[in-house]
Amino acid sequence: MKIPKRRFEASVPSMAMGDIAFLLLIFFVILAKAQDDSHIIWEPAADEKLEQAKNYKASVVIDVKNKTYLNGRPIAQAQLEGALGELLGDAEPSKRTVLLKVHKDATVLQFEPVIEAVSKSGGEIHHVLEQERK
Amino acid sequence: MKLRRNKLLAEPPAGASSDIAFILIVFFLVCASVQPEQGRPQEIPKTEEEPDKKEKNKNPEVKLTRTVVILNGDAMKDKMFESRLNPLLAGKQNPGDRVVMLKSDKDVSYERWILFTGLIEKAGGIVTLQLEEEQVQVVN
Repeated sequence: MKIPKRRFEASVPSMAMGDIAFLLLIFFVILAKAQDDSHIIWEPAADEKLEQAKNYKASVVIDVKNKTYLNGRPIAQAQLEGALGELLGDAEPSKRTVLLKVHKDATVLQFEPVIEAVSKSGGEIHHVLEQERK
Repeated sequence: MKLRRNKLLAEPPAGASSDIAFILIVFFLVCASVQPEQGRPQEIPKTEEEPDKKEKNKNPEVKLTRTVVILNGDAMKDKMFESRLNPLLAGKQNPGDRVVMLKSDKDVSYERWILFTGLIEKAGGIVTLQLEEEQVQVVN
């Protein structure tokens, strides 16, 4: 004689998915706002060997109009050293990377003071570049 | 007499929420990865107010202009720079001996500057920027 097995239905509760989606949305929007500099127009210089930046704390951009930005916000070059010093704080050496995004046609007059400010604030420079086309 | 209304519960379909959540995650991850972060790390030694004169004379000095590169006072074509710099740094193990002083004209572009600092680092050199100090001249 065959004894029929009792079947238990196990389904994933899908009611909470909407809430999860909403929380994820907020999380990513906040994350995107914190260091967003995608609205700034600049063209990177090229180099042969590129490395991925790790653990960067801040990003400094010099755009096509030679304006300087720190984490997407305009800043005077004279204030950059102090602002970077506050951002970097007491972070350990491996976590003091500052991304430097300089428009390829910017001149020494614009970018050398920025490099100097990053160096004086104790930051480690990482030039953001594009792969050289051969 | 009061008539009772039939209450209709209208629930949004929750079955598709998981798909929406997944698509949102993919969308934001793609957006986040669009920004370029690849490049070149650069170690720049701390500035010294009065560099050691002996060391200053020993280390190679590069002057970069918009059209020419000058290595230890000799102007040369861009293509020659790498072959002229390499022997100067070859076999030097001490980081202090590998320091290359770089002085750039104010109108040198970032693209050109990156090219030459890349060549210096490729040859094993450590780039040190020689910045011009602002001088105030009082005229009577």
